Amino acid sequence: MSIDYAAFRRELEEFARKACPPEIRAVVAAGQKVTKREYQAWQKICNAKGWGAPSWPKEAGGTGWDIKQRLIFEEVMAESDCPPLYHHGLGHIGPVIIRFGTTEQKARLLPRILDGSDWYCQGYSEPGSGSDLASLQTSARREGDEYVINGQKIWTSHAHEANMIYMLVRTSKEPKKQDGISLLVVPMDTQGITVRPIKSIDGWHHLNEVFFDEVRVRADNLLGEEGKGWTCAKYLLERERLPPANVARLELVRRQVTRLVDEAAAAAGARRDFSTLRHKLLLCEADVKGARVLMANATDDMIHQRPLGVQPSVIKMICGECAQRLTTIALDAVGPQAAQRFLADAGEDVAEATWIQNYMFTRSRTIAGGTAEVQRNVVANELFGA
Amino acid sequence: MATFDSLFPGMLLDSASRFAQDHVSTEVTGDPVRELGWTATIVPEEAGGVGASLADLASIVEGVASYGLHLPVVEACGVVPVLLQAAAPDVAKRWLEAVAEGSAQIAPLTALSASLDEATVQAKHLDIGFELDGEVLGADASLPASHYLVPAQLEGDLALFLVDAERIGAPAASYRTMEGARGADLKLAKLSVPEGACIARGAAARDSLVAADNVALLLNGADTVAALSALIQHTLAFLKERKQFGVQLSTFQVLRHRCAEMYLKYMGAKGLVIHCFHEHEAGAADLRRTLRLAKVSLAEAARFCAEAAIQSHGGMGMSEEVLATRLAQRLLGSEFRYGDRLAHVARLLAPQATAAEGRNVSNLTGSAR
Ligand SMILES: Cc1cc2nc3c(=O)[nH]c(=O)nc-3n(C[C@H](O)[C@H](O)[C@H](O)COP(=O)(O)OP(=O)(O)OC[C@H]3O[C@@H](n4cnc5c(N)ncnc54)[C@H](O)[C@@H]3O)c2cc1C
Repeated sequence: MSIDYAAFRRELEEFARKACPPEIRAVVAAGQKVTKREYQAWQKICNAKGWGAPSWPKEAGGTGWDIKQRLIFEEVMAESDCPPLYHHGLGHIGPVIIRFGTTEQKARLLPRILDGSDWYCQGYSEPGSGSDLASLQTSARREGDEYVINGQKIWTSHAHEANMIYMLVRTSKEPKKQDGISLLVVPMDTQGITVRPIKSIDGWHHLNEVFFDEVRVRADNLLGEEGKGWTCAKYLLERERLPPANVARLELVRRQVTRLVDEAAAAAGARRDFSTLRHKLLLCEADVKGARVLMANATDDMIHQRPLGVQPSVIKMICGECAQRLTTIALDAVGPQAAQRFLADAGEDVAEATWIQNYMFTRSRTIAGGTAEVQRNVVANELFGA
Repeated sequence: MATFDSLFPGMLLDSASRFAQDHVSTEVTGDPVRELGWTATIVPEEAGGVGASLADLASIVEGVASYGLHLPVVEACGVVPVLLQAAAPDVAKRWLEAVAEGSAQIAPLTALSASLDEATVQAKHLDIGFELDGEVLGADASLPASHYLVPAQLEGDLALFLVDAERIGAPAASYRTMEGARGADLKLAKLSVPEGACIARGAAARDSLVAADNVALLLNGADTVAALSALIQHTLAFLKERKQFGVQLSTFQVLRHRCAEMYLKYMGAKGLVIHCFHEHEAGAADLRRTLRLAKVSLAEAARFCAEAAIQSHGGMGMSEEVLATRLAQRLLGSEFRYGDRLAHVARLLAPQATAAEGRNVSNLTGSAR
């Protein structure tokens, strides 16, 4: 049976309009930070409709949509100012559980991601292990049917609001540092876990350090084989670098920033010259158009289990850098009104300053999940042969 | 050997640096700018000041900026004394004396992001005194003020008012600025002030606002160069120290080249700022144009280096707990003081406007070394 994509789009548009609460859409429309509250509410709404995991196969509780339907979903949701679906569960650890988890783990963990009960954070990076992730030191020793974890993670986004962490730990010391790493899922309320916030430059709280002191978890929280966590981690990272929502969201941001520049230009009249900003905006428009095609092709490869090669690195760079240029344009547009009024003492938002926060936060697009330099190394190795 | 020589070395720089270093990770309390006597720096000797040059004040600005300390030295010690000199000699002398000895805490009531001669307050002459009306969004509010200097539009020209802070009252809103200083919105709703509050009007007010704005742009340039220097040095130290893949980050060619690029931008910015000081000292006819040009160019250099430093620090670059990150924020913030690049480009590309600005305005302060 062939799919009527136009009808599908209309159905999604109507759903987005009717089901997404106006207060949530207002947050997205204003470019404000989407927090757990909005993510969780929206996840529940989508899940009730059977659309909790657009990218998962049907047997895992997903929609089983084809690639075109998935892209339409992303586009319509972005166009309608609906938040993206929360990535750590659905986009990162979910697919790993589906691929590497036991039947018991799938039954225990997947439904809780779908209905928004479980909220994951990612414990990969450590103070001494960032780009060189495989040098990680946090250890887990097996004692009976438990693992005992000791060590420290850093830059853990959302750890302060997550109830679960998926983390890489060293279960043995091997000559090759990628060996001996395992992937565990751990409830955040386990005794011995401490979360310390890190003050980040955007004025939002998302980064944390997480300390593990003799933290005991049941051994059935190990995903995949002990010592083979690197394979899972790589599988996950490929997907992390290809967040399917990226391009649709980028187009949303492009439109928001264009509007912002128009408004700022109208307010400033001849007092400020916006021609360079408009020029830069045109280049971003072109980039988004190109990226959309790249993303569609890569997503198709992913769904058909074809190797992705350097596509995730390429697309991550193109989209990440375009997002940076867009928020930089926004910074230039709002700077004079907003730079001295960044965060109001009274707590209420300064609308323009949100764009400075976005500019600051977007610096991380070339750092988190593999830095720009490391991605370029990946591409260069492919071009020249490692 | 690559050097990071200061723009204006000397004892003032050393003591300001020392103070800033001591307060790098603690909140500044009280009013160090006045307590340390910095407000007297460019106040003429006959008014009880030190009578030092603008370069000397730039030394203090440099010292403070190198440690990312946010103190309104430019405003309290540069802009205010220059503006006060627009008043009649006896009035000017009295207030300059108070500024020098720290008994009056005068702050400009202007949006930090705008040029000083872009007054947003309207003044109306009444039978007795004046009425001020308008709002100033995003003024500096880091230190307590006993008086404000308020530029205002009066009968189609500019005027300068000195108003008791009490009359103006508390800010309508206060903020943490982008770089972590204090900002405020102040509203003047049909505020009556006595006749004597108007300390200058017409050409005297206009010229002093332009002269003060020039000083602000110059010192803002010195601030930028000092912050750039410190930022690059911190980045180099980080890359030499941190290891990934078993080697120092400083061994990766891409990071080395980026640092080299930062250094080139810094050296270019430094040359330009020295040129600006010379032009200022010489009372060059196109000083205003040169300063606008410098603002645009320094913004470009600062943005590049700030972003490069954040990127080079990886996750650390996103954390305000790192001094290099705070310096990067400061550099980004400095772009938006006294007119952003879009505003200065608009003026530079409008031939009539810049030609009109070319006329020489009095050089109220001393020499650059
Ligand atoms: C906002 C944000 C959110 C994050 N969220 C999470 C999270 O939820 N969970 C998690 O585990 N981690 C998270 N991270 C951490 C992130 O994955 C790391 O910051 C990243 O992997 C880089 O590691 P690092 O910070 O240690 O930088 P470093 O590895 O120390 O790198 C510093 C600099 O050196 C460069 N460099 C390093 N190696 C090379 C090389 N071989 N060649 C050339 N240049 C090189 C880098 O590109 C960078 O510019 C987050 C980071 C940020 C900024």
